[in-house]
Amino acid sequence: MFVTDWNSSVLVKAATKTGKKKNALTPMTFSLLHATDFADRQLYNIIPPLKAGMIVLADRYAYTAFARDVARGVDRQWVRDLYSFAVRPNLAVYFRVPIEVSVERLLARRVKLKFYEAGMDMGWSTNPTESFRIFQTKVLAEYDRIVDEHDLMVVDARGSITEQQRVFRALVSENLEKLRG
Amino acid sequence: MSPDDIAPDRGAHGGVTPGRSFGHGLPYLSLEDCPGKIIAIEGTDGVGRSTQIRLLREWLEVRGYGVIETGWTRSPLMQPTIELAKSSNTLNKLTFVLLYACDFADRLEKEIIPALKAGFIVLADRYIYTAIARAGVRSVDSQWIRRLYGFAIAPHLVFYLKIDADALARRVLEASGISYWEAGMDMKSGDDIYDSFRTYQRQLLREYAAMSDEFGFRVIDGRKSIKNIQDELRRQIGEFLEETSAPATPRA
Repeated sequence: MFVTDWNSSVLVKAATKTGKKKNALTPMTFSLLHATDFADRQLYNIIPPLKAGMIVLADRYAYTAFARDVARGVDRQWVRDLYSFAVRPNLAVYFRVPIEVSVERLLARRVKLKFYEAGMDMGWSTNPTESFRIFQTKVLAEYDRIVDEHDLMVVDARGSITEQQRVFRALVSENLEKLRG
Repeated sequence: MSPDDIAPDRGAHGGVTPGRSFGHGLPYLSLEDCPGKIIAIEGTDGVGRSTQIRLLREWLEVRGYGVIETGWTRSPLMQPTIELAKSSNTLNKLTFVLLYACDFADRLEKEIIPALKAGFIVLADRYIYTAIARAGVRSVDSQWIRRLYGFAIAPHLVFYLKIDADALARRVLEASGISYWEAGMDMKSGDDIYDSFRTYQRQLLREYAAMSDEFGFRVIDGRKSIKNIQDELRRQIGEFLEETSAPATPRA
């Protein structure tokens, strides 16, 4: 088994860091940098383990970009075309929470919201929490569209971690059995 | 189709209105009220683009136009990453293409569009065609790369300085010698840098030739003298500007 995280390639880290530090990223450069990161990780971290017959667990996938970049105003079809080089996952699971739960959990974290995480670059609100709420509402709406479009399996993420894990494991087992059969 | 039917009438835009996006564009940015013009100079390494652009800039500024230059991989955001990637051998063809696209997007939004809004002439040292040619040689899907650059703005004029691989090789050797990337050594076609250069540049030239009709390049013989080429550029640009606009007073 191999785990790959969003936004973790060494190659792109420098540019992303510079851009984020200076708040210099536009929705388009944000989108392209993340696609570059994904392409780099697909080459080094996703395709080789797949070829070796391993399971790749991806913490976020292209769908994150579909939701987030479009919420920032990038063209919906353009970003889908951009990621057409991505390997289609055998199973994609979406952990869904309503916007209120999302905001609550975020506030409970008691850490300062990051500029881009809160969508502050869009200038919708100068209040980070309010900005996050506006941004995240748009992101969630995009996910709902993606769920239908790409047959994502939905897990209700309001429940306890134990409960979510039970549902998640059932989905994964079912999928693996189907692949074996 | 006769040769007369192609380039000049259609302009440098492949059927797209100059000053508008090729494809889906940047929905969050308006291109209304952009009186400036984009003039792109294309051509392979060492053909003399930068010299021509420097001379054009002087000429245009004397005539009262506001001018900015924008060049490939010159965005402050991406330049260090691209340099790093080039020096560390970790690039594959896809990350190569995407890093260039990111550099272009940064310059488009931060330099080119603001200049167009202020009524400037943007002199582009290479444009998206360089990216398409390099991707084409590396067998990147041609439709994919065109859609990727759908956010780019179609230039008002594209000049292609055309040269053959042999003349080019001599010129590059005289100037600074052949570099790893100019020789396309990443394509691993062999260890001989001269042979690799010629093979790679020939392939690039084929890609440019194929785009010439598609995007309405104005082709100029790159083997001519610097002065000859400059005269021809000035003649064609002068005609174009006379038709479309008097020198605009750049807005602050």
